[in-house]
Amino acid sequence: MVIVTLQRDKCIGCNYCEEFAPEYFRMSKKDGKSVLLQSVEQKGFYTLKTAMPDAFEICNKAAKACPVKIISVKEI
Amino acid sequence: MKESGKIELMSPAGDFASLQAAIDNGADAVYFGVEQLNMRARATINFTLLDLPEISNRCKEKNIRTYLTLNTIIYDHDLSVVKTLLNKAKEVGLTAVIAMDQAVIAYAKQIGMETHISTQINITNIETVKFYAMFADTMVMSRELSLSQIKKIVKQIEKEQIKGPSGNLVEIEIFAHGALCMAVSGKCYLSLHAHNSSANRGACKQNCRRKYTVIDQESGFEIELDNEYMMSPKDLCTINFLDKIIDTGVKVLKIEGRGRAPEYVATVTKCYREAIDAIANKTYTNEKINEWMKRLETVYNRGFWSGYYLGNNVGEWTNASGSKATQKKIYIGKGKHYYGKTNIAVFLIEAFDLSVGDKILIQGPSTGSQEMIIEKMKIDGKVENIKAIKTDIVTFKTNFKIRSSDKLYKIVEV
Repeated sequence: MVIVTLQRDKCIGCNYCEEFAPEYFRMSKKDGKSVLLQSVEQKGFYTLKTAMPDAFEICNKAAKACPVKIISVKEI
Repeated sequence: MKESGKIELMSPAGDFASLQAAIDNGADAVYFGVEQLNMRARATINFTLLDLPEISNRCKEKNIRTYLTLNTIIYDHDLSVVKTLLNKAKEVGLTAVIAMDQAVIAYAKQIGMETHISTQINITNIETVKFYAMFADTMVMSRELSLSQIKKIVKQIEKEQIKGPSGNLVEIEIFAHGALCMAVSGKCYLSLHAHNSSANRGACKQNCRRKYTVIDQESGFEIELDNEYMMSPKDLCTINFLDKIIDTGVKVLKIEGRGRAPEYVATVTKCYREAIDAIANKTYTNEKINEWMKRLETVYNRGFWSGYYLGNNVGEWTNASGSKATQKKIYIGKGKHYYGKTNIAVFLIEAFDLSVGDKILIQGPSTGSQEMIIEKMKIDGKVENIKAIKTDIVTFKTNFKIRSSDKLYKIVEV
């Protein structure tokens, strides 16, 4: 299981996460910030739990590229 | 729209305390970013869309003009938020938007929002001024121009009667004070290259401010440099030749520093206000210049130089990583109460100590940045005391209101 979180309010809309992990991230046309697809929000943190085998590797690329370091990826 | 012909002093506001400091210390205008699409995009130093009415109201009350910076590069996914921001800016009655991207300029024109051309566009000649006059009444010149080049542009605007959408002559704005960077008009790739963190999206990591060494890859020898901060320029300061600046015919003087603390905004705004007024009253003297320079040195600076304005051929580089400010603030405590009838402020001391004679700074979102010296104080409302320590409740007189959101600092020499 992989847990991906996005602290969305700090996003500066640079688009890197969508570039690296388009299956998981999409830039919102509404407010220009990143959206973690199919995630659940709690107090500003958006969390996605997934069993997709390559989720860790792909989302980690996005997390590493993020200039404001608001994406975290954990494997449990 | 500003009163035509007058010099406008424009101060930065990164938060409400800085905004209030700018208002209280004589700014004619303030500029600020909202949400992510501005050159200081990192969240800690930004207003949100919800703050716009409050900013607008505070400034309107004091007849201060309000400029929204919306001057990053814009991607397709930003287009809708650009419209949201501009619509809101128009709705709350902000004076103008400072723009770089043509998408922003075009939409602002479409909804009838006054536009200023950001220094990011890097205007360096009269034909470009003419082009942007179709959209904007005020244009910030490239930071790399000399005063004689700026003067020629201003003269040519008058000669050719180049007018903006308002029908008035285009006004020229330049940076008067604050940080410069090594890149032409901030268009730098270094931070993006090293950290994916684009300066042109307002997320500059300031790699240029660090120390570097040069190593010969063949021999492994390190080349000795006179100054390891080889990419970090000193800060711009023009107060000592502000008469020459005003003589060029520029109409707007901008102070850089939306990432700076409220006391920086207060001190720099006040010094430049006094200098602009002194030039107008013909009382601009060397003694005053020396005094302003000393005051400017008390707040954040990397050492001062005159930028490119005086035609210097190379930059001057700083020799320190951070500030050379001659003063610093130490957190002491927070505001508890204010007795309006007797003008007595109550503070809780949470760190260090406070003595009679100390120079203090009180800062808060509504209070701004207020400096004063403690002449008398009481501890726990009773005995008059000369020294208060941690956990003491102190009271003293202030000629301004204190709120529970206020923080109390002591100013000490570095």
